[in-house]
Amino acid sequence: MSSIREFSKREKPEDYYLRLVEELKKLNNSLNAFSVINEGLSSGMPFSVKDNICVEGIETTASSKVLKGYIPPFSATAVERMLASGFGFLGKTNMDEFGFGTFGLNSEKEARNPFDEKYVAGGSSSGAAIATSILRYHIAIAESTGGSIAAPAAFCGVVGFTPTYGVVSRYGLIDYANSLDKIGIVARSAEDIEETLEIIKGRDRYDTTCTGRALGREPRKRIFIIKELMEGVDESIKSHFTGFAERLKGMGYAVEERSVSGMEKAIAAYYVIAMAEASTNLAKYTGYKYGLKNEKYSEHYNEFFTNAREHFGIEAKRRIILGTFIRSASVRDRYYYKALRLRAELLARMEPLLEEGFVLAPVMPIKVPKIDEAKGLSPLEMYKADMLTIPPNLAGLPHVSFPYAYIGGMPLGAQLMTSHFNDYSILGVVKEWERVFTYRFRYNIGSL
Amino acid sequence: MDENEFERLLAICRIRLSEKEKPLIKNDIEEVLEYFNMLDSVDAKGRVAYQPVEVEGVMRDDNVEAFGNVAGMLKNAKTFRFYVVGPKI
Repeated sequence: MSSIREFSKREKPEDYYLRLVEELKKLNNSLNAFSVINEGLSSGMPFSVKDNICVEGIETTASSKVLKGYIPPFSATAVERMLASGFGFLGKTNMDEFGFGTFGLNSEKEARNPFDEKYVAGGSSSGAAIATSILRYHIAIAESTGGSIAAPAAFCGVVGFTPTYGVVSRYGLIDYANSLDKIGIVARSAEDIEETLEIIKGRDRYDTTCTGRALGREPRKRIFIIKELMEGVDESIKSHFTGFAERLKGMGYAVEERSVSGMEKAIAAYYVIAMAEASTNLAKYTGYKYGLKNEKYSEHYNEFFTNAREHFGIEAKRRIILGTFIRSASVRDRYYYKALRLRAELLARMEPLLEEGFVLAPVMPIKVPKIDEAKGLSPLEMYKADMLTIPPNLAGLPHVSFPYAYIGGMPLGAQLMTSHFNDYSILGVVKEWERVFTYRFRYNIGSL
Repeated sequence: MDENEFERLLAICRIRLSEKEKPLIKNDIEEVLEYFNMLDSVDAKGRVAYQPVEVEGVMRDDNVEAFGNVAGMLKNAKTFRFYVVGPKI
């Protein structure tokens, strides 16, 4: 039984929500999962919302000082649909500023791993994954642009699902890169994810890229491991991953290696598109309509806007500068156009493969790093850590991240991807896996 | 990218960096752009994908609709009478 149905059937003590909030507040002081906790929660299965998704009346900042004090006058479609289905809003979850980060460290309060606080939680949906790992009954509404759901789900040992691009409305999402952003779900089981997806998916008149197409569950008996993706994977992970592939064979899947040329250029193509789109999206933060105000209205507008934009973090500034350069007329064909070409090429090469079988890969090429180790990485080294999560995100493919092993007490995550709109099929495989493998959790706040 | 180009780029972005930050960010940007150069070998001929999934042009009628929470929207800005206060142009 899904925990959603289990929660609705169980009797709750009178002070259930009060105790839940108190325990959560205490643990949040050390893990930094939530930026806002709703102390008035009094009914429904708790759900959290990543801080780049609007909830009416609740401060929403995408972890950016630029948006400090912004109170949305409306809720995102996904949030409206969760509330209408009886879920209770528990709070806003921590994230890397505007989604710019792989480790959950690009935030005023760095996110910490619930298995061991010295380790990163992953990003950018860091809080969504931590919250799911520590709360017994809870669903997280998160968002992925280049791996922001899969990475933290893998590092925190939970299930993270990113649907096909356009399945869930982006209305109410603070844009990072419009052609890449997807609202998705983090939960403790594939069954919880499937039930939540049923609620939040579907056409929305406020998002014209949200298609409302029916989702398939076409099974595949073959699983492909892409040679080019495995080349950069740390040796310490490879043997565990090979062992996992053997277990899948035991479950009746034929596991085969395949090659997809051009995959090694996916990181470059992704960051070119993401930065180009981000630099235009961030142009709207000008210090007077919402968020942090620059109240020196007598300044010339150039100076006014420049002063207002000083509050962006350094990674946001880096991406604005790079994105603006990439879009300039003299180099647009060289970078932006070529990146769009590569996306089309990769889609054309992946589509026939995904008609025959699923693609399986580790989520991250490294074990969960310690916070100090991750802080020492250069921006380019950080971007390269996304090498395995970028291909499905660049191509808008549905993918699910789930734990398959534990080393040194920390989880390892694998991801399964399939063709556009065949979203339910991969959740079916994870359900099978969950029958033979038990996920571990250190905390179970809100148990009944 | 020479110093002048970099300064011009910062002005276009309306981003101000401290003297300490400038060489560090410029170095990061050059390193990343060098990495992006691997896209040079991508064949320029053929289809491009502006979206990962084909999206039909879903157009809606250009009708005026009342937004349900104008007061909530205006609370986010500094206002004077019915106007949002902004910088001089």
